[in-house]
Amino acid sequence: MAQKPKVDPHVGRLGYLQALVNEFQETESQDAKEQVLANLANFAYDPGNYEYLRQLQVLDLFLDSLSEENETLVKFAVGGLCNLSPDKANKEHILQAGGIPLITNCLSSPNEETVLSAVTTLMYLSSPGTGSHPELTSLPLVQCMLRFSLSANIRLRNLAQIFLEDFCSPSQVAEARSQQAHSALGIPLPKTEAPQQP
Amino acid sequence: MESSLSGDDCPANLSTLGPFCSLIGHRVAHPADVVLAPRTAADKMAFSDGKPGCIFDHHVQTAVCDSRAKYRESRRPRAVKVYTINLESQYLLIQGVPAVGAMKELVERFALYGAIEQYNALDEYPAEDFTEVYLIKFVKLQSARIAKKKMDEQSFFGGLLHVCYAPEFETVEETREKLEERKAYIARATKSKDYYLTKKKLVPEQKGTKDSRQDFHSHIPGFSTAALNTSENSSPCLPYSCELPLCYFTSQTTCLPGDHVDRASNSCSGGRNHGELSKHCNLSAFSPELHVSTYKNSLPCSSMQEAVTTSESVGRFMPRTTQLQERKRRRDCDRELGTFSETNTSSNEVVIGPKLPGLPPVDLQDDSLNTTANLIRRKLKENSSKGILTAGIKHRTWTLPWGGRPELLLRRAADRHTSQCPAFL
Repeated sequence: MAQKPKVDPHVGRLGYLQALVNEFQETESQDAKEQVLANLANFAYDPGNYEYLRQLQVLDLFLDSLSEENETLVKFAVGGLCNLSPDKANKEHILQAGGIPLITNCLSSPNEETVLSAVTTLMYLSSPGTGSHPELTSLPLVQCMLRFSLSANIRLRNLAQIFLEDFCSPSQVAEARSQQAHSALGIPLPKTEAPQQP
Repeated sequence: MESSLSGDDCPANLSTLGPFCSLIGHRVAHPADVVLAPRTAADKMAFSDGKPGCIFDHHVQTAVCDSRAKYRESRRPRAVKVYTINLESQYLLIQGVPAVGAMKELVERFALYGAIEQYNALDEYPAEDFTEVYLIKFVKLQSARIAKKKMDEQSFFGGLLHVCYAPEFETVEETREKLEERKAYIARATKSKDYYLTKKKLVPEQKGTKDSRQDFHSHIPGFSTAALNTSENSSPCLPYSCELPLCYFTSQTTCLPGDHVDRASNSCSGGRNHGELSKHCNLSAFSPELHVSTYKNSLPCSSMQEAVTTSESVGRFMPRTTQLQERKRRRDCDRELGTFSETNTSSNEVVIGPKLPGLPPVDLQDDSLNTTANLIRRKLKENSSKGILTAGIKHRTWTLPWGGRPELLLRRAADRHTSQCPAFL
């Protein structure tokens, strides 16, 4: 059994979280960054920590990490956001910080957990019915969810279905469906530039 | 390691597998009655998609991390993993079960952590030689969390179990409920935290009535001193504050980083929050029903007797032993005032149970009967002062048919020509 961590008892929870944030910002080791981010994301599961996390600006740390190249960091960061987004205060903070485009970008990640966390986070940021943030029911997003609802991945299918049923109006879904019928879906975009003619 | 979305990921298909077993309301460790329940339409919908016996990434046990900095090492070796509500599920996949025909014992073991709705073997799921894979569906997600935490990496019939969540078995409705429950839990936890934080400001106004509560505190055994130290002057809550939201405890207690490092980047985080809350509250003595209400974090709904009056109506659930302690304390106070078994009318308390008659002892006009009555009375006083009432259930005076008055018993005994003393003396 590993020994208990030698933390000064007077430091407390806030101090511990502060130590994690400091390490994340200072370390150059990718492994350490992943470990610390996962640690913070798991702390974000417990509502008792939300005040500390807001105080330490961990929400912004998660949002910033969504732009990292390391897929694991993105996965952990969006997982952390998924954990704390049901809270009202956290939700306001994320919306004000312009989190929706960052999270929406995660929908195109090749990582399953990243996409699932992103879909769930968007749902928690939305309000049920049609009163939610307009970005959350934009046409491209609804189209994306429609595609997900046809996915072979059952977890993704379930989440997308819930999104379409609970957070989009029937007219929005119908519009997205009709637009999709005419769009060139399934044709992959070129990954590289066209070769230049000599 | 990462799976693509349009890849071969698919849930295990139960339609080709063994009989579907249903087990409802099973909490105790006695042999369960196995009932074969017909598959519901919803189940068929959930399980008939995709190829049978697929492995998902989240089923695979991630390697343990051994490069953590000392200050954030956990007690048990853990992998680097984040648990979200998506990953957690009432469905648990159990791998590594030795193929010795021990399904019944396995289910019984898991049923200790909560009611199981369904269970069955996944014959098509890839398994090591001589092992089997099972799927267990708990009625509640919290039971699944606790079961996973407790049973993962546990020995069973000579094998090591690997327990993981299996959210791919959920129906749309189950997923929806899961997400909504999470949201509701956070709303409750945050609201309760705000409630208690505002109460902190009101408590200084009630300092004058705190004295009797201090006396009450001293009688409570096994109280979490960590919580008491930080909440001594601020918390209006009784020590057995099992109804306190998790957030209150985690924010109020001075650090226990060991507990919370456990939560960090681990592969078995089931029941982490509430298991640790139980530790803080020392709730292990309470019934499982109490654990359920703690998880639900329900705000107290009924007003119970309190040591002090408060300006606002605070509904609070008081466990039985606390009520007994409270009655004992009041009896001690009354005894000091010379009024035995009378309620303290100066406080606006809610009296639970039948009120004892407050009549003075009566001369039975017989020396032997008077002697016996005095003996009984003395014994009653001795026993209640020794705190027997707190230890057991059977010695509560208000349950005695003769209301704790020796004269009545002896009168009836005399009437019936018997002179037996009550059996409890």
